[in-house]
Amino acid sequence: MQEFIQLLVSGLANGGIFASLALALVLIYNAMGLVNFAQGEMAMFATFIAFTLIGRGFNYWIAFPLTLVIAFAGGVLIERVVIRPVERAPVLTLVIVTLGLATLVNGTAGFLFGYEPRVFPSPFSVRTVNIIGAFVSYRDLGVIATSAVVLVLIYVLLQRTTLGLTMRAAAHHPEASRLLGVRVSWMLALGWGLASAVGALSGIMVAPVLVLEPNLMQTIIIYAFAAAVLGGIESPLGAVVGGLIVGVTVNLAGAYIPFVGGDLQLAVALAIIVGVLVIKPNGLFGRASVRNV
Amino acid sequence: MAALLELEEVRAGYGQTSVLHGVSMSVEEGQIVSLLGANGAGKTTTLRSITGGVRWTGDIRYSGRSLKRLSTEDVVRCGIAHVPEGRGILTELTVDENLRLGSHLRKDGSDVRKDYDRVFEYFPVLRDRRRLSASTLSGGEQQMLAVARALLMRPRLMLLDEPSLGLAPIVVRAIFEIIRTINQADGVAIFLVEQNARLALEISSHAYVLEVGRVAVSGASSELMGKESVRRSYLGY
Repeated sequence: MQEFIQLLVSGLANGGIFASLALALVLIYNAMGLVNFAQGEMAMFATFIAFTLIGRGFNYWIAFPLTLVIAFAGGVLIERVVIRPVERAPVLTLVIVTLGLATLVNGTAGFLFGYEPRVFPSPFSVRTVNIIGAFVSYRDLGVIATSAVVLVLIYVLLQRTTLGLTMRAAAHHPEASRLLGVRVSWMLALGWGLASAVGALSGIMVAPVLVLEPNLMQTIIIYAFAAAVLGGIESPLGAVVGGLIVGVTVNLAGAYIPFVGGDLQLAVALAIIVGVLVIKPNGLFGRASVRNV
Repeated sequence: MAALLELEEVRAGYGQTSVLHGVSMSVEEGQIVSLLGANGAGKTTTLRSITGGVRWTGDIRYSGRSLKRLSTEDVVRCGIAHVPEGRGILTELTVDENLRLGSHLRKDGSDVRKDYDRVFEYFPVLRDRRRLSASTLSGGEQQMLAVARALLMRPRLMLLDEPSLGLAPIVVRAIFEIIRTINQADGVAIFLVEQNARLALEISSHAYVLEVGRVAVSGASSELMGKESVRRSYLGY
């Protein structure tokens, strides 16, 4: 029981990280019907920016929000410069563009920051606290709390503000939204900015657990895909719930299913992707897609 | 006095296909003008040209200012509300959120609240369904929502594309009553595209009849209604 609670909490911490990146994927998927394959790389780059800021002597709690703001601006910029020219292109073109973007960002990070692994600081102590007999690390609790705060802020922005309303409108019905005076193209750019910022959160949270290097997010993005698919790729809430489920499942499977261990955890995520697509393609929160022919 | 909306020799089309072959029309301030014609005559394309949903040449002026090169968003922000073909309801959102998208650009908070009250007076059913997803509304209720949302934009000109389409006659009557009220009480000019020619002529003061992208007949609605030949050849009743 004690071990189970420990696994549960660290699974939720991982889940918060997956949820953030999955939410980033969903935000862009909603806006343009496109999976942004560069999302993980953008998050990695933002993490390097946070690392650089902290290295220059910024306090962690200043560098962290500052990085989210920079990531937001970077996301908007990438949309304006790279995506805007191909906005109306077929989706396959866009997929290729994001794949190219992923390679470009990865290479640029390697060029600017180098490939040697670096230790990324965590503001949370690795000491543990005793919760009903289980030893839970402050770091896991901190990651859970930080992810929760940012995810709640995004929820409030999308659901409770006029800006969020117009962003959702633009994502679902661009033509009808234009007729209501919504600047759809700018809303897409803001969507990229928001996705970039929430993706950056996942990078900054995961970097202390792994080590910081240009390939930081390459397995994390697989877990995020699993989370997004499980939640129903169109549902922000689904991405968060999916992230938590994937985090916990992978952790428990690693501990309790003998042949999975630490090595096959990624395979569990892939199994989730395949399983969801076969059994319930619209995920937990997605609605059945209706297409008029 | 210049008209509120003027179309001058407007040509428009989709890709290689041209739909409008030079149409000229005008809508005066506070007037209801109907635009009639068979399927494919170019009625919807005319409305879409005005709000920039389709490329056009010629000139379209709104209160003296050319709408050339303006984006759809900017045309709408000038005070033109367009209820498109298919109503343009955002079915992923709630009724309330749809309405808020009508008023989201307005800064006059207290007037907005008054307008909500009035809109709910016109369409009480929308007040009861505020929290529900717009996808749960019936066709008639969705049309009411579309008109209500357009009204909340506080436009000077409303473009309505076939508000009667697919609705039961009694619902159509109710909606046309409201359209008349909106025009008379709020002084909103209305440019109305309709298949139901009889209904449209009853409510409007002036009418244009399109035939394959050209204005075939135009004149005072009462006159068009009275002319047997016009009725038979163009209006089909």
